[in-house]
Amino acid sequence: MNVSPAPAGLSSDRFREETAPVAELRAVTKRFGDVTAAKNLNLTIDRGEFLSFLGPSGCGKTTALRMLAGFEQPTEGDVLIDGGIVNDSPPFCRPVNMVFQSYALFPHLTVEQNISYGLKQRRPRMDRSEISRRVARALDTVRLAGFENRKTFEMSGGQQQRVALARAIVNEPKLLLLDEPLAALDRKLRKEMQIELQDLQRQLGITFVLVTHDQEEALSLSDRICVMRAGEVVQMGTPRDLYDDPKTKYVADFVGTSNFFEGTVLSVKEDMAQVELADGSRFEGRASDSFRETETVCLSIRPEQIRLTGKAEDGAIEVVVQNRIFLGEHTEYLVRHSSLGNIIVLAPRQAELAGTAFNQGDRAWLNLSREAMLVLRQD
Amino acid sequence: MTKRERNWLLLLPGGAWFLIMLVLPLTVVFIFSFGERGDAGGYVPAFTLEQYANLPARLTAFENTMILAPIGTLISMLIAYPLAYQLAVNTSRKWKTVLLVLVIVPFWTSILIRSYAWIYILGGQGIPNLLEMLGIEGVRLIYTPFAVLIGIIYGYLPLMVFPIYVSLDRLDKRLLEASSDLGAKPFATFMQVTLPLSVPGIATGCMLVFILLMGEFLIPALLGGGKVFFVGNALVDLFLQSRNWAYGSAVAVTLIVIMLVTVTVYMRLISRLNTQRDDVSIM
Ligand SMILES: Nc1ncnc2c1ncn2[C@@H]1O[C@H](COP(=O)(O)OP(=O)(O)O)[C@@H](O)[C@H]1O
Ligand SMILES: [Mg+2]
Repeated sequence: MNVSPAPAGLSSDRFREETAPVAELRAVTKRFGDVTAAKNLNLTIDRGEFLSFLGPSGCGKTTALRMLAGFEQPTEGDVLIDGGIVNDSPPFCRPVNMVFQSYALFPHLTVEQNISYGLKQRRPRMDRSEISRRVARALDTVRLAGFENRKTFEMSGGQQQRVALARAIVNEPKLLLLDEPLAALDRKLRKEMQIELQDLQRQLGITFVLVTHDQEEALSLSDRICVMRAGEVVQMGTPRDLYDDPKTKYVADFVGTSNFFEGTVLSVKEDMAQVELADGSRFEGRASDSFRETETVCLSIRPEQIRLTGKAEDGAIEVVVQNRIFLGEHTEYLVRHSSLGNIIVLAPRQAELAGTAFNQGDRAWLNLSREAMLVLRQD
Repeated sequence: MTKRERNWLLLLPGGAWFLIMLVLPLTVVFIFSFGERGDAGGYVPAFTLEQYANLPARLTAFENTMILAPIGTLISMLIAYPLAYQLAVNTSRKWKTVLLVLVIVPFWTSILIRSYAWIYILGGQGIPNLLEMLGIEGVRLIYTPFAVLIGIIYGYLPLMVFPIYVSLDRLDKRLLEASSDLGAKPFATFMQVTLPLSVPGIATGCMLVFILLMGEFLIPALLGGGKVFFVGNALVDLFLQSRNWAYGSAVAVTLIVIMLVTVTVYMRLISRLNTQRDDVSIM
């Protein structure tokens, strides 16, 4: 690796630590026997960011996280922390802490002893008074002051979750790894904890890496999301990037909801592509990639980008309303087109208030604007 | 039938068994211990403390039991723990079953026969014979406290291995990962997580072995050759040979009291260890 010389006054190690990304995976592959859990992962984790691994169960998210923590060694490739290769360094040597999916709190220790565990392992030993000061601060941070002497199994799921968080953050790790930390909580508590996690990350400035299969969670919490599929990274970007510019049907489907229509490319002009669907109808859409003519692709449009109207406008397609679900700010319509099949449309409340509400069985027209249509690789 | 009635009914077989097989004999023994020996042996009703006053005559048996039983328990535990640890932590699923069965295999034959094997091994033609060939003469193993200790440990090791194995096998491996993640080296993890969480298994194993050892008579009889007497041997002698039931009962009652006291103290200590561990970094 070619590193520029360190400026005067900084040792080269210090310099490397402060300029390198906090962690990096370089061409990392992990195999368990015949199973390839991670395939050629390449990614950098920047200092202070909130990164999520998103993907369905079994796609290798936990494996990626465990390689960062040091519980698994890559079969091929390198894991770097602070610019140094740590492939073979065991978990207890890494400046990384993990919040386990099932919390893994020590059942024989009190809340306070659980939280102070990491600090007590430090050599040279840390002052007792310093330990209790930091533990108290961590307890405050997760709003558990007063619970010091509780046994962890006497606590609720949400409280245990916070103990697990406090036990990790008290060590001030360079990287905090969270493996589906909220999966075991009920919906309401999960929402609360999501907000707390985000606050915590901003307040502490620690780099967070979260594993989740919940796209909503990833979208609302992360600075960047790494979408995975069968051990591979399919796309990486900010939540907005992934939502607005998915590169494949898989990402568009996994991140948010979308309507898909299969077709073949007729022509490509600049970044717009003409697509012919099975029924012969033609649409234009933004090409997410470079496509060849006659290539099989997928047209995608988000439900909230479709406008539902009561009269035939130019280019609109006719549908019949199948179902209507009131969602508060939005109304979700399920409509049926004679050859395109079912389409989901999300209409804002204002539209209804302005008088364009539809009932089951009504005829209506959909405006599929070319700006909102995305042409995606079928994969 | 009400729920209450059903509960009583369910308790009946166990309760009756308990009453007839445990409480009744104990009561009889207790009453006998204040009686006198008949001319032809057996028991003559009386109320005297003479039998208890005579206890010092059997002091050696009590001493042997009270020394060898705890030592035997302790050594068994020290041998069983690493064994159980390897079985529970470092053995693949496939081998676990095989090795666990091997631990029980000795139970397939009677302890009597197995002790005879030890008589041979420790006797003149066994180890001392081998040592003699190496030029070390005059080593005597059989009929010594050492021989009894060997027999005890050999016989009771499986009973110690199992409870410890179970507690280690049940231990959530993620706790070990969490400990490592928090910066503890393997030995520190063992001391702070594995060991404390296997205390219940150790406690159960020790209790089981200790109680059984306190009543042991076969191994001392065979490997101690009448020289290393346990209280159990004294009881066999008093009840079956000299037919001094009253004195035998006094010895038995004393043994029971000693056991009750030790076990109670022991349980107190263990439960305190489990609830009041305010600082676990033992090291
Ligand atoms: N220790 C292991 N031994 C064998 N296979 C494993 C092991 N850990 C994970 N796998 C396999 O690797 C794949 C990815 O697993 P994982 O990383 O846990 O996925 P995720 O966290 O995304 O659900 C799965 O097919 C899983 O069965
Ligand atoms: Mg997982």
